[in-house]
Amino acid sequence: MPQTFRTRLGRSACLFAGLVLGPPGQTQTLADREQGIPVTDPLVIAKCGGCHTRDERGNMQRLSWERTTPEGWQDALKDMILREGLSVTPPEARAIVKYLSGSHGLAAEEAEPVRYDPERRIHDETGMVSESLHETCGKCHSFARALSWRRSEADWKQFADSHGNRYHIPSTAEAVEYLSKAAPLQSPAWDAWNARTGAQSLSGRWLVTASMPGDGTYSGEMQIDRDGDDEYNTRATLTSIRDGTRILRTGRTIVFGGSAWRGRSKGSGSAVAPDGLSTEAREVLLLEADQSTAEGRWFWGQYQEFGFEVKLRRASSEPTLLAVDRPSLKTGSRAIRIRLIGDHFPAQIGAADLNFGPGVTVRAIASNSPNEIVAQLDVAADAPLGKHDAAFRRSSLPGALAIYDRVDYLKVTPDSIVAAFGDRNHPKGYQQFEAIGYQRGPDGRAHTADDVALGPVDAAWAVQVFHAAEGGSSDSVGAINSQGLFTPADKNPNLNFDCWVIATARDEKDRNGAPLVGKSYMVVTVPTYVFNGRRYVRDLDRWVDDGPDR
Amino acid sequence: MRTPSVLWIPFLAGLLLPDPVQAHHGWQEFDEKTEVTVTGMVTDFHYVNPHCVVEFDVKDDKGRIQKWQGEFSNPGVLSRRGWHAAYLEVGDKLTISGHPAKKDGVLALHVTRILSANGELKLELRE
Repeated sequence: MPQTFRTRLGRSACLFAGLVLGPPGQTQTLADREQGIPVTDPLVIAKCGGCHTRDERGNMQRLSWERTTPEGWQDALKDMILREGLSVTPPEARAIVKYLSGSHGLAAEEAEPVRYDPERRIHDETGMVSESLHETCGKCHSFARALSWRRSEADWKQFADSHGNRYHIPSTAEAVEYLSKAAPLQSPAWDAWNARTGAQSLSGRWLVTASMPGDGTYSGEMQIDRDGDDEYNTRATLTSIRDGTRILRTGRTIVFGGSAWRGRSKGSGSAVAPDGLSTEAREVLLLEADQSTAEGRWFWGQYQEFGFEVKLRRASSEPTLLAVDRPSLKTGSRAIRIRLIGDHFPAQIGAADLNFGPGVTVRAIASNSPNEIVAQLDVAADAPLGKHDAAFRRSSLPGALAIYDRVDYLKVTPDSIVAAFGDRNHPKGYQQFEAIGYQRGPDGRAHTADDVALGPVDAAWAVQVFHAAEGGSSDSVGAINSQGLFTPADKNPNLNFDCWVIATARDEKDRNGAPLVGKSYMVVTVPTYVFNGRRYVRDLDRWVDDGPDR
Repeated sequence: MRTPSVLWIPFLAGLLLPDPVQAHHGWQEFDEKTEVTVTGMVTDFHYVNPHCVVEFDVKDDKGRIQKWQGEFSNPGVLSRRGWHAAYLEVGDKLTISGHPAKKDGVLALHVTRILSANGELKLELRE
């Protein structure tokens, strides 16, 4: 007998919550006014049709009036297994999620604004919705979780009613009205997505840049080989721009609906350290509609706190600029060495091939190869401050180089975060910090939108517990190393600690000659906690319940 | 300011229940029955979760600088009152009221009110 998800997962593995399909329940009279999306997959019809009745147009109740991400469909399917007793084998479950994520997925344009949710990024949702909507939805999950679904108006109403009953929250007309407009089933983006002539194969050579906080940027290439419908094997070779360290990562990915890259990869080396670059990582990327580029994150850790910011570009025969080794240059600098990393740089180049905008002059080309150009730059004392593009002929990197005349302040990133003690059942939650230099923008004020990030600043690191005595030890909470990596203490004290993570610049000074200092607010918390009867599961970034007793 | 997905929800709601029960620092470290008022100059402002923090210098009776820390609310609430990361700036002179820390020698407040140097009410959190 094939192992089913129901038997394999068991009660202890009900690791999900919230935005789920729900049983078909009442008839979908309102939804009938909106055109549904027919379901044509025999497996979905066979497994779901018992409850989700299919009409003569091929529309299945609920299913045909909903679209979402692969994670959304995975959650919905798990919920059907655990709450409704659906029995499917793991291969069947994968096939159902794959079909629905393609035929009832999101267009790339729709997925872009909410991609921070599956990519497990820290993201500002302040001001996104009204206070009452925040009360309705934002108390339990990010608002992106809601906006990752597209539904007809009737389905939003039905969903809000069932969700409200299940989680004891009021179903508000405001929420239904907002979501029906903000996340409708039918949209021009979805129409355009469906009108595409078909996704291209991703097979071939791709160029990669991957940046990891605290470790800098890596560049290189990825060979992608097709291995089944929308499934690929990957092999990435990356080199650190900072110190030349090389990484080889191999993996496998599925591309749902031509845009949602979901994969796993692992490095060839051993991953002893928690932030080891060979650690197995989840890959979540979004492919642009033309499938020439993809951006996203490879991540791991209890809070998904470690990871690369990744950009893929389909390789071409044209010269391509991928990265520069300096994020910023000071006005008045002379003969500054800068490395440009790229692909297919020609053998014969001159200073005129490079462009960094007004006030930045290429003094000389020191060396060049197909993958690297080393140039010497002069920056005029009156060069325009702010972000400058870097370009080699027609290939440019927008805003790659910041021109500044002073570092006004340090910002420690992330500026607020949670780390966690571990115990026998829960690994520690670490946190990597960076001290980023900033110059005030044209408005002359610090911490406003026009400020210019100048890149990481060399700093000394310290942790200070709130309200602790001056010079007191923070060893019982944890330790931060010289690279800004915080490791919680081994012993879990079953207490939460509010701490400052303090970066003191080694070189940059304020107007009084004192070293610049930046701080981040870190809460070091217990290994696990519950809230309103539900557990928070860090590696899923979700509140979960264990489902009904069976 | 940022809302890092779901991580801050229990901290902001003040309903964190670890096992065994132990709350996030919350406000129990402050004497909520007492209120003090001090005047000083902002040295840093952190518009972050789980609480906003203003750091400020206060001159004592002998003219010595004391380093104070005021903790209050969070960006999700304050943004709806028009606050932002640059709402308080280094060098601003403020009169700050709040509940003092219970621990001896700790110069910290759970802020209840902030007035600017010209008396303008910048924040009122009294019930």
